[in-house]
Amino acid sequence: MTAPTLPARYRVAERRGETHDTVTLALQPVDQPIPAHQPGQFTMMYAPGIGEVPISISGTGPGAGLVQTVRAVGAVTRALCAAGQGQMIGLRGPYGTHWEVDRAAGGDLLIVAGGIGLAPLREALLAALGNGARYRRVVVLIGARSPAELVFGQELGGWRRGGAEVEVTVDQAMEGWAGHVGVVTQLLGYADIDPARTTALICGPEVMMRLTARELRALGVPAARIRVSLERNMRCGVAECGHCQLGPLLLCRDGPVISYDVAAPLLAIREL
Amino acid sequence: MEDAIQPGSTALMEATALDQLFASLHDAGYAVIGPTVRDGAIVLDELGAASDLPFGWGVQLEPGGYRLRRRADSAAFGHSAGPQSWKQFLHPPREKLWSARLADGAFEIGADEDAAPPRLAFFGVRPCDLRAIEIQDQVLGSGSGNSRYAARRDAVLIVAVNCTEPGETCFCASMGTGPGAGPGYDLALTELVTGDRHDFLVDVGTPAGASVLAAVPHAPAAAGTVDGARAAVADAAQHMGRSMPAAGLHELMAGSHDAARWDDVASRCLTCGNCTLACPTCFCTSVEDVTDLSGDHAERWQHWASCFDLDFSHLHGGPVRVSAQSRYRQWLTHKLGTWHDQFGSSGCVGCGRCIVWCPVGIDITEEVAALQAEAQQTESGRTP
Amino acid sequence: MTAPGTPHGEPVSVAGAAELGGHAFLRGMPDAYVAVLARACRGTAARAGHRFFEEGGTADRFWLIVSGHVALDVSAPGRSRLIVETLGKGDLLGLSWLVPPYEWQFGATAVQDTMAFELNALAVRAACEGDPGLGYELLRRVMPAASSRLHAARIRMLDLYAAAGQAGDGP
Repeated sequence: MTAPTLPARYRVAERRGETHDTVTLALQPVDQPIPAHQPGQFTMMYAPGIGEVPISISGTGPGAGLVQTVRAVGAVTRALCAAGQGQMIGLRGPYGTHWEVDRAAGGDLLIVAGGIGLAPLREALLAALGNGARYRRVVVLIGARSPAELVFGQELGGWRRGGAEVEVTVDQAMEGWAGHVGVVTQLLGYADIDPARTTALICGPEVMMRLTARELRALGVPAARIRVSLERNMRCGVAECGHCQLGPLLLCRDGPVISYDVAAPLLAIREL
Repeated sequence: MEDAIQPGSTALMEATALDQLFASLHDAGYAVIGPTVRDGAIVLDELGAASDLPFGWGVQLEPGGYRLRRRADSAAFGHSAGPQSWKQFLHPPREKLWSARLADGAFEIGADEDAAPPRLAFFGVRPCDLRAIEIQDQVLGSGSGNSRYAARRDAVLIVAVNCTEPGETCFCASMGTGPGAGPGYDLALTELVTGDRHDFLVDVGTPAGASVLAAVPHAPAAAGTVDGARAAVADAAQHMGRSMPAAGLHELMAGSHDAARWDDVASRCLTCGNCTLACPTCFCTSVEDVTDLSGDHAERWQHWASCFDLDFSHLHGGPVRVSAQSRYRQWLTHKLGTWHDQFGSSGCVGCGRCIVWCPVGIDITEEVAALQAEAQQTESGRTP
Repeated sequence: MTAPGTPHGEPVSVAGAAELGGHAFLRGMPDAYVAVLARACRGTAARAGHRFFEEGGTADRFWLIVSGHVALDVSAPGRSRLIVETLGKGDLLGLSWLVPPYEWQFGATAVQDTMAFELNALAVRAACEGDPGLGYELLRRVMPAASSRLHAARIRMLDLYAAAGQAGDGP
């Protein structure tokens, strides 16, 4: 009676510190890998003996390898961020809905990321760049707390060379920063997007997603072409524990990627 | 007993044959779980013999109140809304999911050591509870995750009992879940106590039920007896203590997020979570990873959780649903509203337990009526 | 606007009303009012590093940025200039010219080569005094820009990207 909800074993092949509290882990399966995933889906990452948290997959590695970016904010994530090369962690999944990047083909893809929200969007961006001819423009707007807290900072050059227009803004500048200073929605003004052709993927703190979506709506992008990645407390990942409800949605099954026309009325209800 | 007992047929069994029914269940490998009196309530437990059933016991029910009372007759099933439901057997309050060995930066999950789930005969499942089991089958048994639930469920035989005497807090009729049992039983009994006679009309639901009944003394049921039993059940539908609106609960819940009524109920609700414990369909769980002192051995345990707990909605350093108002609203709008969106039916079966076992006596039928009135008032306030 | 300007932000030409009216900030402004502004306007090209103004200076000009990147900053002892916000294409540079005592609250530097329309604040204020209609047209464009920056500043103060716990993770 083996349940499919047992963590699969993965080893840390490589560990890269992104910021003072964020780590990217390149993982290789020890036994059978978990099934193939789509950009935007998540796994329940298991820190042995400590617990699990839902973490969006941020990339793929050689073979059946996966890349996951974790921010240390509690007991489980601190343990995951401390995992060294060769150490074993567990993964269950992949779960949830995905960014549906292909549906934006033929038009412009706008990616707006706030803070650690860039991690769930990274694969969507890589998928779009991999299929470059299918998009007229790929625009990436990134907001970070400060230049020192920018994740994947060393990859931006590669993304630009791959055809993406990448702009970064920080809430707080540091010495030597010659880039934008301001909230990420201010970058929309410079991006000159064509609302009729744009599909927007947004991920970051919920307030940031609401404000960005509102700004995009004001520019004329239809709500159905704006997608956000929502989160709530998750325990099982398989729609059986009841924790991740957001009104009628079970975010592990109906999300985390939600179309904004569905999300907007739910996000407007306090304490839903 | 040469008549062909098969699904769809009926038979009449005397109350004195209950012992043989128990024996037949035991012979078929089932432990019998049913109602029995203990600690001032009618609880569900393993029954050794038919005499363990609560003959002659009834209950007096009201919001926040439950009292045993002596019945004038010797009915075994003249009660309702006990503090427990069958979910404790199919969806245990605590359960080990797996264990693992931790060593040298690696872990290994142990082979499944679980024995096959026990074969249980649920004896005395009310129609509301039968529907509740069906609802939990949908939530827990149909997905990829919970093969444990499916295995436990397969090992259960159900002897339902139709209701002829609704409790004061029952409202199954308006929820469409009773007072007669819907499909899903192996056997269904209708208790007939008149004067000196004490019989059970037996409806056979499945071949498994037929096989159990075959070893029990029974006789064909006369048409008049059958009609009388059906009429008694149908009549019960007219005597419900409470009711819910026939339609529109899903829409009412969806439109109610800003209702003032939530503040009203929140001023009474203790967020104790009794309702979620007593409710036969509440299914929420949480998981806990524990290790022993050496750190070599880890286990994952699953346990019941309640949306009334503050940490249920913990996110980014605090709960999403902080106020009692938001947590009560979550429970009721889920049960009566968004359950439809998530699982395709209502989550409420009208058993009334939440009303009885709420320490402050919150009555969801009264809350719904108030929400409906407020919605209509808001609506009429809008139209010129 | 004509060719690139001299090294230190000297005016390159007197901007025509048509060019000025094409700037995003003045979109929809009646031509007559644009013409008034044009008379107080000249194009300017600033090299990277050019200081548009200093904190405490007289706010006697303002700019409508055409291209480039400008940083608003404050100075603090022992620290190099702290950037509070950056502006770019389409943005209004300068708000203090509208608010007595008309003194710059921040400094401003061109981070990249920047082209802008430079307007004479005294002349524009005088024109608005004489024609409230012009004043209104200007203010109903300035107000949303100021409001948006206030909104953005408030959001930045919330420090949303700071760690406050992750979904499902314990304390």
